Amino acid sequence: MFHTTFYLRRLHSLCGLFCLGAVLFEHIFTNSMAIFGPEALNGSLAMMELIPKPIFLALEIGAIATPLLFHGIYGIYIALQANNNPGRFGYVRNWNFALQRYTAWFLVVFLIWHVGYLRFYTKGVTGTPISYELLQNLFTSSPITTFLYILGMFAAIFHFCNGITTFCMTWGITKGPRSQNVISMISMGLCAAMCCITLVFMGSYFVR
Amino acid sequence: MADKMVRFIIERQDGPNEKPYNQEFDVPYRPALNVVASLMEIQKNPVTVDGKRVPPVVWECNCLEKVCGACMMVINGMARQACCALIDELKQPIHLQPARTFPVIRDLLIDRSVMFESLKKIQGWVEVDGSWEVKDAPIQNPYTAETAYEISHCMTCGCCLEACPNVGPQSDFIGPAPTVQAYLFNLHPLGKFDAPKRLNALMEKGGITSCGNSQNCVEVCPKSIKLTTYLAQLNRDVNKQALRNMFDK
Amino acid sequence: MAAKPENKIIVVGGGLSGLMATMKICEGGGKVDLFSYCPVKRSHSLCAQGGINACMDTKGEHDSIYEHFDDTVYGGDFLADQIAVKGMVEAAPKLIKMFDRMGVPFTRTPEGVLDLRNFGGQKNKRTCFAGSTTGQQLLYALDEQVRRLEVKGKVQKYEFWEFIKVIKNKEGAVRGIVAQNMNTNEIVAFPGEVVILATGGPGQVFGRCTASTICNGSAVTAVYKQGAHIGNPEFIQIHPTAIPGSDKNRLMSEACRGEGGRVWVYKDGKPWYFLEEMYPAYGNLVPRDVASRAIYKVCVHMGLGINGENRVYLDLSHIPADYLEHKLGGILEMYSEFVGDDPRKVPMEIFPSVHYSMGGIWVDRLHHTNIPGLMASGECDYQYHGANRLGANSLLSATYSGTVSGPEALRLARSGELGPMLTQEELDAARQECVEEFDKIRAMDGEENAHRLHQELGELMYKYVAIERDNNGLDQCLKELKGILKRWDNIGVTDHGTVANQEAMFVRQLRNMILYAMVVTKAARMRDESRGAHAKIKLDANGKQMKDADGELVFMGRDDEHFMRTTIVDYDPATEEPQVSYMEFDHSLIKPRARNYAVAKKE
Repeated sequence: MFHTTFYLRRLHSLCGLFCLGAVLFEHIFTNSMAIFGPEALNGSLAMMELIPKPIFLALEIGAIATPLLFHGIYGIYIALQANNNPGRFGYVRNWNFALQRYTAWFLVVFLIWHVGYLRFYTKGVTGTPISYELLQNLFTSSPITTFLYILGMFAAIFHFCNGITTFCMTWGITKGPRSQNVISMISMGLCAAMCCITLVFMGSYFVR
Repeated sequence: MADKMVRFIIERQDGPNEKPYNQEFDVPYRPALNVVASLMEIQKNPVTVDGKRVPPVVWECNCLEKVCGACMMVINGMARQACCALIDELKQPIHLQPARTFPVIRDLLIDRSVMFESLKKIQGWVEVDGSWEVKDAPIQNPYTAETAYEISHCMTCGCCLEACPNVGPQSDFIGPAPTVQAYLFNLHPLGKFDAPKRLNALMEKGGITSCGNSQNCVEVCPKSIKLTTYLAQLNRDVNKQALRNMFDK
Repeated sequence: MAAKPENKIIVVGGGLSGLMATMKICEGGGKVDLFSYCPVKRSHSLCAQGGINACMDTKGEHDSIYEHFDDTVYGGDFLADQIAVKGMVEAAPKLIKMFDRMGVPFTRTPEGVLDLRNFGGQKNKRTCFAGSTTGQQLLYALDEQVRRLEVKGKVQKYEFWEFIKVIKNKEGAVRGIVAQNMNTNEIVAFPGEVVILATGGPGQVFGRCTASTICNGSAVTAVYKQGAHIGNPEFIQIHPTAIPGSDKNRLMSEACRGEGGRVWVYKDGKPWYFLEEMYPAYGNLVPRDVASRAIYKVCVHMGLGINGENRVYLDLSHIPADYLEHKLGGILEMYSEFVGDDPRKVPMEIFPSVHYSMGGIWVDRLHHTNIPGLMASGECDYQYHGANRLGANSLLSATYSGTVSGPEALRLARSGELGPMLTQEELDAARQECVEEFDKIRAMDGEENAHRLHQELGELMYKYVAIERDNNGLDQCLKELKGILKRWDNIGVTDHGTVANQEAMFVRQLRNMILYAMVVTKAARMRDESRGAHAKIKLDANGKQMKDADGELVFMGRDDEHFMRTTIVDYDPATEEPQVSYMEFDHSLIKPRARNYAVAKKE
């Protein structure tokens, strides 16, 4: 009667694209400051510290944690409904469909680790502020961590960009195959660009 | 020519709860041979390659012209109609399996009644007062009618359900075919009176929200129905309906 | 006012006719148990391609219902009950409007009204169509409506249930059936106040034909064995244009010719449009029996088939591709798919194939058989088409007969004429009989393979009882059919189980098919004339086929004096052989006249 499934599903779509998309952009933007050196990154991290603490915390809870938890938990429920079959039906869109779910599983694990370690443990428990030096140390000390972080970023970027394509279908914005293909190509282009930026700023920790 | 044989590896199952097993058969090749014709040859001589006489393979077929939808099975991994699966176009040996998205009754025979039940859920009919004479039917835009004609080709074969990763025992998705049928009736000048009912039905659990846009359906549809286009259109309509539900009351 | 009782009618068969009858019964306040071999949405009605005839007169040709009536009677060589035909053609336009309201996506003109096309044996555009899949679209519309009634609890569907036989009460009236679940092989007796058979044609008796694999006529034979008359069974329509195939001959719609397709072969190195030359008035649009005989003659007697094989060209390649796509899309795609050539570019290769049975269970105009309580409608009855059916009249007769049989069944159920319902003992006894029969079949372990025997049956029927017949051949055929019937006893089945045992069910059907083949052959043997689809060659004193001075075969003429009567075939339980007699019918409205498609029709 109340179409709970429908509204949850649409909410999942909206908060994925807008809330978590914004979070992803913010991460890439801030982290890409590393390319310009420690001052640039630390500077932009300091900019964020200017936001009054209660507001910052509210933002963190309302605009990041809640959407993330909802998208993640409901996403698990959605992913469980799929019986991925790109092996039998190896079409591009079916691969994307499967990858959307594979990346989702990876992101669940990755984000628990990432948020748990950096936000809760490092920043929350030990009270160490996040800084260029901390991140450089984190990455250069362990290639596995670096690798997992790059993979996590790639997964999030793909999941987001493919999400743009499916968002346009789910909301009936792109109807015909041509418009769907155009959006798909644009979002995959975006995906490639964002992945490149990620590689560059991750690499910059090693060359400096 | 006469000696040329076509090898079939058929996944068989003696009953709904039995274990599947494979059996191999050779069928004499002839030009334009298709999978159904091959299964008919096996009926005439139900002997495996090991020389064992076995019960003939059980499957469903009616028209052999690709309009009834009965003979859908998985041929070399692909869900398709067996009657128009020409041997010349298939890699040998040819693997035949039942479409396991649906419960298997025996061998390649499956139970697709769930699809017909889904057509009830989406109210797949025009609510006419009766079969008696009422008045002239309304004139229809010929272009709209052509779209309706395309969708109305759907023969409920189940290829799209078999290919769809979101259809199966793990999910309650009714599948692309029944979903898109809702659009067919929403297009009709009389059928559209009940469009809100159908759209609301599609908002239910297992409705259009379960579509994950893998788009396998449109790839495998034997009738080349532009399923994804109509799914997107329905998404648009359903969203509008949701807004109406929220704000019109 | 007290509510009318919800009488329960059994409808066997879920094609157009069965669904139409079901709908009418439910609308009248009755309930229906609907039995079908297959999900009703997969019934053979969906194979009809070209269209459905109805005088809509929207093409400025001054078409009239009378013209449709006359074309049908003339096309049927004056063997159809004229009062019945009149009822059908008068109802036709109303049925089209009904289908239109139900959502059939008919092909439309640019201004949005139903388009019409030409069809064989008719000079006016009279055929409504939905591309080249009209039957599919009509069937789906009724399927949807019946699904609506099912949701309302008016209809109980029994899909994948095979009809075995009817059950009569002590007074000899039919009040139930025995049917078998094809998946679990469970056999059950069902009581019903009236039984309507709408089980379609017997195409599989001929093996390869344009019919679906389910069209075996087994149900018709079952009631024939229980005393139902069979009417005009010798009239088997051979469709002139089918794609020959080893598993089946696939229909290539008459609509191809209706949209301008031409039939030809090479003669002296040049295309010879023989239909246009032989029948200048109608050209490629002569009725099916005429076209089939012409093609047969050109291939078999003149040896002019493509590469010496039994094929002629059906040519659409001169018509613009987008026009073809719009009007004929589906079947052209089918041809490409099954043959590999594109009919938009190269001519198709076709040959006649068994297609439809004009004959079937004898019924009166209200579709009662001679057994009280048993009705028949659709292709399985003999009504409306006489000696030859016009193209696009079958969807009409199927639908129309449902609109007659449905309400009439309900009236009969409420009349109290049929005597008591079946007792539990009677139901159990009938069921037990069928269980024993099935068990016996499951245990058969002879030498013969049922499917190979079926193939032989088809080849035999094609050889002797197809386009051209003669009495020697028919006698021979009857003899060989008896042999096949005997060999049936020696069938061995490999499947002895009771889960979807298709083999055992097929063996049961096969026996009925053989018996029906005997009905067709015997009726053809006894009708010493040529009429419509039944063309008989004269024999000379030596029993050889007679030829005239030009070496052409001499056919018997139409003999109105002796054979303007309905063939009635009854089953003789003692010998299992068919008994032929004749019955008068109503031909009071249009006086018989010679049938000649070389000239325009004169009334």
